[in-house]
Amino acid sequence: MFPSSSHPPTLHTTAPTPSTTLFTVSTRSPSHTLLARSLHYLALLLRVIVGIAIIVLFWAKWRQRGGDEAQGLGETAWYEDMVLSSPVGQMAGWAARGLSWTWVVGGTMIGGWAVTRRGYTEESLLVLRGLGIQTSSSSPTYLSTPTTRFIPTTAIQDIFIHEAFKGFEVRFYLAIVVQGEEDVVVVFPTLLPNRHILETVWRGARACLYEPAAAKA
Amino acid sequence: MPYNIAMISDFFFPQPGGVESHIYQLSTKLIDRGHKVIIVTHAYQGRTGVRYLTNGLKVYHVPFFVVYRETTFPTVFSFFPIFRNIVIREQIEIVHGHASLSSLCHEAILHARTMGLRTVFTDHSLFGFADAASILTNKLLKFTLSDVDHVICVSHTCKENTVLRASLDPLMVSVIPNAVVAENFRPLSLPTTTPSDGLTSPSSTHTPVPAPHHLGPNSTITIVVISRLFYNKGTDLLIAAIPRILASHPKVRFIIAGTGPKAIDLEQMIERNVLQDRVELLGPVRHEEVRDVMVRGHIYLHPSLTEAFGTVIVEAASCGLYVVCTRVGGIPEVLPAHMTTFAKPEEDDLVAATGKAIALLRANKIRTEKFHEQVKLMYSWTDVAERTERVYDGISGVLSEEEFYVGFRSGAGWSATRGRAGVQSFALIDRLKRYYGCGIWAGKLFCLCVIVDYLLFVFLELWAPRASIDIARNWPKKVVLHGSAKHEESGSGVARKRSARHREKRRDVETDNF
Repeated sequence: MFPSSSHPPTLHTTAPTPSTTLFTVSTRSPSHTLLARSLHYLALLLRVIVGIAIIVLFWAKWRQRGGDEAQGLGETAWYEDMVLSSPVGQMAGWAARGLSWTWVVGGTMIGGWAVTRRGYTEESLLVLRGLGIQTSSSSPTYLSTPTTRFIPTTAIQDIFIHEAFKGFEVRFYLAIVVQGEEDVVVVFPTLLPNRHILETVWRGARACLYEPAAAKA
Repeated sequence: MPYNIAMISDFFFPQPGGVESHIYQLSTKLIDRGHKVIIVTHAYQGRTGVRYLTNGLKVYHVPFFVVYRETTFPTVFSFFPIFRNIVIREQIEIVHGHASLSSLCHEAILHARTMGLRTVFTDHSLFGFADAASILTNKLLKFTLSDVDHVICVSHTCKENTVLRASLDPLMVSVIPNAVVAENFRPLSLPTTTPSDGLTSPSSTHTPVPAPHHLGPNSTITIVVISRLFYNKGTDLLIAAIPRILASHPKVRFIIAGTGPKAIDLEQMIERNVLQDRVELLGPVRHEEVRDVMVRGHIYLHPSLTEAFGTVIVEAASCGLYVVCTRVGGIPEVLPAHMTTFAKPEEDDLVAATGKAIALLRANKIRTEKFHEQVKLMYSWTDVAERTERVYDGISGVLSEEEFYVGFRSGAGWSATRGRAGVQSFALIDRLKRYYGCGIWAGKLFCLCVIVDYLLFVFLELWAPRASIDIARNWPKKVVLHGSAKHEESGSGVARKRSARHREKRRDVETDNF
């Protein structure tokens, strides 16, 4: 049900100023314990190492493409020498010699996908009183930027929670009615968090967008 | 005791019709009585998703493939996941299906029984036994109704028909007729309601019976026909009868409203006999315009060939029209004798009956102006809702067997598969026993379907666990002044968790204490 993570979406609210609130819904596992945190950084380190190894392997194979004539030129920059003479470079060179192009390209693509995959989805709603609302959805990989959409206050007609059929179930969604647009803008479109989260966000967004009743009186 | 009820039918608004308005009226009245009602139907053109109607009546327009005359394609199991989701999120206890031609309703009843919910089925139509389509529908009906808790029919004729078609125990079939909103069908002599009028209770503003209006021997009598122009509505009979009626009665005019495949035949008949100035064809009219058409006439002609109830003749009588109708189906039960003239469903008799009715009206022997008040006393949706509620009480075990089936001694006629009378056991083996008796081949096929359905249910419980399904909020209700204990649950959204089974248990405990 939840994309690429077993963790149900959780809500984090940050309000740096009274007129700004950021609601973030994420499937990232909440890491509070030391073990969980160290595991997280270890995984990150592993990703970096594997990523570097893949790049070096591809580069080594690329260098061997020219074969003897490239060697004959003998013109190698100092950094190339440094990389190729290092243990990683030697390993990569050995592997590149043994593997065919199909294997290298296939392995690079799969490895590259695995390394850059984000593994969790994060969607946020930033409410700025007097300015507008910005929705944001994280991209599936680390390489691309999140998709964001800014809606100015003047264009916002309403913000509401409703239900809709999605696949084999009925889900709640938070929607913004934008002036001059036929379709509503759905907030948290991929995660579609549960009703309690949506109600919290809805209340918070309304309180932040429109002056609270207490402030008016 | 409030229930959470799901009304399920393929037929609902925006499509107009008798079943549709029945579901709507019954639902609103049940909501007024403190229940929670949702309606599940398929998506119509431009009408999908979840919608709210007046008074917080929630409608789920499930996106489905429509086959024929707004009926969905019968896919036995594909509806289950979404149905289960709706049932869980709305905390439904009773599933109430409508109309025997609606495959959505049959599927829902099957799934509801698998999920352990109480089920009621309302039959709105009569069927034959001879042709292939009827046999198939009847078999399907038998399948569904083998394991339904209770059946409601709109007339006694309909009850007989359903009992025979589905081989039911007549005791588990109740008759609850349709009703009309009499305020919407006032005769011309009474002013139409203004919004401010509607607020005052009808009993306090007692309208005096209007003075009888006399028809002279030479004044024109208008005959109104409002029906969909289908074969089963008797349009052929009408086409044959109109020229003869008009030939023998010079001061008679016809107004015909409605549309359908037989409209062309009707137009051809008018052109052939050159009756354009005496027969007015209005084409399709909306339900709220029906009254305005009816009050233009004096006689309502209803030539239907089969009809389970015939709400339209009650509406016509409420408008102060004298009714001429065929003696078919449940029609003879609907109105008292002084409001109607019956005919056999054949051309000669229909012409004769219409002639008789015209003569009676010309002789001023019928007080049609009194009809409205009489109909108002006979038919009300509040009464229908009360009686339906009693059925719900009976199947949930709130009413005891003796109370529910008045004059029936317990333990005499119930089959072995049934536990307490009227309260069917949910155990799979008991359900299989009930289905197995449906026929030599059909029984085995039905059992197979039920087993697959059960396995699907188990799979769904694992695949989409109950805990991950959001509970929908209830429509906020006004707290009624009297009976504060009754409305304890009106506030919070996640109230009424007690299932029907808990309720039944509690009832058993109560009886033990006595």
